[in-house]
Amino acid sequence: MGTHFEIELAKLKTIIERIGLLAEGQVSEAIKVLLQEPEAAQPKVIKKTENKIDKLDVKIDEICQRIFALKQPVASDLRFIMSAMQISNEIERIGDLSISIVKKAKNIKEKHDLILKFNVADISKLVELITVKTNNCFVTREGSTIGEILILNKDIRNKCEDAIHEIVNEMKVNSKAVVSGTNLVIVLKHLERISEHCTNIAEYVYFMVNAKIIKHEKLDDILPGE
Amino acid sequence: MKEIKIKVNDLSLHYAQKKALNEITMDIPANKVTALIGPSGCGKSTFLRCINRMNDLIPNVSITGKMLVEGIDIYDKNVDVVNIRKKIGMVFQKSNPFPKSIYENIAYGPRINGINDKSRLDEIVETSLRQAAIWDELKDRLGDSALGLSGGQQQRLCIGRTLAVNPDIILMDEPASALDPISTSKIEELIHQLKEQYTIIIVTHNMQQAARTSDHTAFFYMGSLIEMGKTNAIFTNPSQKQTEDYITGRFG
Repeated sequence: MGTHFEIELAKLKTIIERIGLLAEGQVSEAIKVLLQEPEAAQPKVIKKTENKIDKLDVKIDEICQRIFALKQPVASDLRFIMSAMQISNEIERIGDLSISIVKKAKNIKEKHDLILKFNVADISKLVELITVKTNNCFVTREGSTIGEILILNKDIRNKCEDAIHEIVNEMKVNSKAVVSGTNLVIVLKHLERISEHCTNIAEYVYFMVNAKIIKHEKLDDILPGE
Repeated sequence: MKEIKIKVNDLSLHYAQKKALNEITMDIPANKVTALIGPSGCGKSTFLRCINRMNDLIPNVSITGKMLVEGIDIYDKNVDVVNIRKKIGMVFQKSNPFPKSIYENIAYGPRINGINDKSRLDEIVETSLRQAAIWDELKDRLGDSALGLSGGQQQRLCIGRTLAVNPDIILMDEPASALDPISTSKIEELIHQLKEQYTIIIVTHNMQQAARTSDHTAFFYMGSLIEMGKTNAIFTNPSQKQTEDYITGRFG
């Protein structure tokens, strides 16, 4: 067994892993609702999970504050605590966006056709994949996973932009599609934001491991050739 | 480009057969605070005492290598060691005021260096105590015994005494370890002010103090210099695992 401080750091890591898995689950459930999959969870279950995420987010802030005040962490411990607070914040936002997707999904009439027409299922599955990779990235701290997340985010962003462009064109010629189309655009933007939050988390993991802040650097500078 | 005040090349020290310092090579910049950290027995105080040749006073000590202060090898046989100790002052963990008045504590050094003019000595006493951030507290009691001062005041008096002989370099061996938090804070603030005029090297067991007060930090372990760098870099991203393990409390 390690020192008292090491035990506390390990506990913090465990809580972050837990909140990450909860958010990953929320994204998955939101996508099931969006794609009208039969095994989608009930809204109250999704709401209950959101409450758990919020509580864990607060707990993480409290633990980090205590460690800063009482332990004066340095070096890798300092980077971990700094990142923990930021990562928790990003995960909490992913949770919120998932809830919003569930709400918006109800307003997308004839969504099955729209979803098929504008490639939403593929985009959604990619977003599910990026959340899984992000959780793995935090647990394993592997550099290759960070790279995969950054590349996947770029793909998701491009696909979202293309889909939104096509939906807008559809709305221009078909007034009946405006309400559903608008809500679908919002959903796509939410999916894109979830992907961005995952990228941010990957960047914080990079900072933890490499002591380098890359959050405003271009993908080409971080991963030359991509 | 930063000016180097002290250049150390392959400095080794033996206490009889026991090697206490192992080929230390480092540059200590001028007008900065350099902190020496490391676990007990790692050689940081031994190294500090090499800088003003206090180890000369210990029997069976042998030193090899070079210690250049402003380009002059202080271990050269032609060097006046008394002059070295005037130019390189030292403050110890336990404050050691003379059993004399506050005034005489400060005036003693200039007096034995030939300054006897009262008005000149008055000026030196005031300047030194002001630089040591204790003039206002003591100006009305300069005739009182220094031994009646609090621990923190005594330590600042000792710093003032060091400054009175116009040093270039100030060595501090755990100057605040015996003091309460408020006195410690005053000493640390004083260090911050003094570095504008002096080069300061401080040995400390308190890593947070090293982080708060120093510009550069050198980590010693078992007689060797493991790593030296800017304090910010050492405490955010040290390059050596041993340094990381020590500053994060994994050992030491």
